[in-house]
Amino acid sequence: MIAPGNHWVRGVDHTAFVTFEPAETVRFYRDILGFPLSQSVCATGWGPAPDFVHFFFDIGNGDQLAFFYYFGHERYEDAEIPDLLKSARHLALNVETLDHLDEYERRLTEGGYAPYMRVMHETIESIYVTDPNGLNFEITRPLRDSTDADRDDATLTIDALLEVLEADDEPSLAALWAAKGRRIAALTETDEVAS
Amino acid sequence: MTTIYVFDVDEFRPVIEAAGQRQTVSVRKVGPYVEVTADGPIEIGRRESGVRHAVWYSAVAGVVAGRVEQFDKEQLRVVPA
Repeated sequence: MIAPGNHWVRGVDHTAFVTFEPAETVRFYRDILGFPLSQSVCATGWGPAPDFVHFFFDIGNGDQLAFFYYFGHERYEDAEIPDLLKSARHLALNVETLDHLDEYERRLTEGGYAPYMRVMHETIESIYVTDPNGLNFEITRPLRDSTDADRDDATLTIDALLEVLEADDEPSLAALWAAKGRRIAALTETDEVAS
Repeated sequence: MTTIYVFDVDEFRPVIEAAGQRQTVSVRKVGPYVEVTADGPIEIGRRESGVRHAVWYSAVAGVVAGRVEQFDKEQLRVVPA
């Protein structure tokens, strides 16, 4: 097993989605939000793929958001996916300050994409909008710094979840609270959690 | 003794502070958590805590010798088990 932290990844290079609305996608990400185009690949179809344009937006920090537009491909939407699962699959971009979050809310609203929700979560404040491709898109700012305690808490949560999944045919939050509670009770005031 | 653990961070601290309002509780620090214990049930009102909805529902880190009987927009109620 590799020790957690023993890796060299520096973040997201790019994440990619399919678009059937390339013009509106460019308007949304470049003209409304202000993300510059950073790369494109225009390729003739190879293997089973039709001809396509793969285009990338610079979303800061060297990270990129990419789309594939396939020429001639029939529009497809997964009509079967439950709303809960569809909305859970989302992309969240990070800004530093309240002013920046407010400014993106203003840009989205002026561009005709008023956020459908603004929420103060535990450690972040977020605005949510559906992009032209039906992708649940979030912009968020930190409410406090992330700490070693957050890392330790996440480790205990997942240890407890794995225990519950192994032991229980019907895993539940109640079982997780019990498993995590046992692990916390075994800590002392100065304990550090091995992550 | 009914025991719950709450992550000891800014967003959940009002929940810890509200725990003593409806019953006598003992509170002590355990690792990055606060342990809240009571002889009987532990009841904490959401409005008394003042925390927003998006934080309230994730305020419980762990439960020992107890069962969450109610956890909705009104209150968290953990009974001895």
